[in-house]
Amino acid sequence: MDDNAPRRSHFLPRTRDGWTATIAFLALFVLAMPPITHTVLNRSDPWVFGLPFFYVALLAVYSALILVLIWAFRRGV
Amino acid sequence: MEAWVVATGMIVLYLVLTIVLGIVANRRLTGDMEDFLLYGRKAGFVVLYLTVVASFHSSFAFLGSGGFFYTHGVGFWAAGTWTLLVGAITYVIGTRIWALGKAFGYMTPADLLADFYESDAVRVTVAIVSVVFTILYIQVQAQGLGYILNVASGDRISFEAGTLILLIVAAVYLMAGGLRAVYWTDVLQGIWMYVAVWLGAIVLSYELFGGPLELWRAVSEQRPDLLSLPGPKGFFTPGMWIGMTITLSFGIVFQPHMMIRYYTAVDAKTIKLLGATTPIYLMSLYLPAALVGLGGAIVMPGLEGSEADRIFPLLLFTHANPWLTGAILAGAIAAAMSTLDSILHANMTVLTRDVYQRFMRPNETQGHYINVGRAIVVGLLVVGYLLSVGTSDLLVVLVTLSGAGALQLMPAILGVCFPGGRTLTRAGVVAGIAAGLVTLYVTLVVSPHPLGMHGGLWGLLVNTAVALNVSAYTTPPSTETIERVHGEVERFVYGTEE
Repeated sequence: MDDNAPRRSHFLPRTRDGWTATIAFLALFVLAMPPITHTVLNRSDPWVFGLPFFYVALLAVYSALILVLIWAFRRGV
Repeated sequence: MEAWVVATGMIVLYLVLTIVLGIVANRRLTGDMEDFLLYGRKAGFVVLYLTVVASFHSSFAFLGSGGFFYTHGVGFWAAGTWTLLVGAITYVIGTRIWALGKAFGYMTPADLLADFYESDAVRVTVAIVSVVFTILYIQVQAQGLGYILNVASGDRISFEAGTLILLIVAAVYLMAGGLRAVYWTDVLQGIWMYVAVWLGAIVLSYELFGGPLELWRAVSEQRPDLLSLPGPKGFFTPGMWIGMTITLSFGIVFQPHMMIRYYTAVDAKTIKLLGATTPIYLMSLYLPAALVGLGGAIVMPGLEGSEADRIFPLLLFTHANPWLTGAILAGAIAAAMSTLDSILHANMTVLTRDVYQRFMRPNETQGHYINVGRAIVVGLLVVGYLLSVGTSDLLVVLVTLSGAGALQLMPAILGVCFPGGRTLTRAGVVAGIAAGLVTLYVTLVVSPHPLGMHGGLWGLLVNTAVALNVSAYTTPPSTETIERVHGEVERFVYGTEE
């Protein structure tokens, strides 16, 4: 790289897979944060497989986040 | 056979196993400092995985998380967010820390930061933060150990004696085998604690309610206030949720015992896979904790404060058979010891490397530094024991601050690992950390969690603002150093690794 050129930021992804993984992770993570947790998810009904909605919904979001990380690993992000 | 005999016997068996592992690890030592302090940078995926998760989950995960569910309800399921972030941080930042450690021979967090910011003041500041805020974890874990042994023995082994015995065991295998012994025992501890929590929770839920689903139904009928936010005591406000997520992910990952683990990975693929998969273990350990805490709130209501943290052992002694109780309490010991030994090791490494080798005796042999490290462990053992059995107002304050202390390293670490942002300066970093720590004192001790937001987050915000502003008017690191370090990051992330 040219010594005088500013280094490109590492805060933004540079590949398509990098962008996909970052946006997917952040979008899912928002679902597990306020205000979603304290409004949309904050209820027991409907019960899912005998478990309260809040608990199952967050478990689903957490599982999806793990899948994003594993997908990023498999894609070499 | 009486329950206390079985429970204590199982714990003794477990302790013997850890010492045997320490002795075997000792026979593999090469006499090299990197081998003793960093496992020779050869940790493979399975060993690294189990040591990271076992070190992350302390006695809090075993005892405190059940207490949290008991007191504040299902809001503690927020724990999943910070365990997920730990995985992402490892994936994105841990890999960069590993690459820089390998390229420039870093052994401690202070090595990384002092090299980039070209400053011994940064080294000393980081070393102090690293030691002060984690040595208090020794006290927390040691107190947990003493308590568990005291409970398991039916009060026949005093809290003080139990604490001392378990501290000595951890120190012995650490001195014998270095980080290799810590890692091998962590493998045992990581498996044991996970099986123990799940087994205990499932058995108790069937014993007390007829199964986990029946337990949930009972909670909804008898304590519906435990199934919604912000919980019965109004604890889990949005600000607290966000603050705990940031503090308990970045704040723990940047503690020295976790950062040092990044240096030890055998290759980049190992640490990336670690990041992608650690949340599976970290998050799923809180599933059974919910059963214990919520079920306990129905069966044994009325426990307040730290009493609530004892819900798991209380339920076991009342409702489970002695063999299971013994095995599970040994799992609780494993949870605390795996964190304790890691912190002892990290403090030993920081004090040996960043203080003794850097400022006192820089040109000694590898064996000399290893022996100094062992002597430091003895000193830490004494300090840890005194902290555990004594108490003072200052200690209470420091423990309150400890969880968010390492979080104050975040701006400085991001400055090293992420080229392209505004470059911080040594003055900015030191001023930011100082301002962050003062803010922590105010927002965690003087007036806890202003505006419902966790004090750790307030500290981080002030730290970042001060670091950026001071850096705007002070001298940055030399162009050569920035190019060398950021160039290595660039090559690692977007070029070739080697």
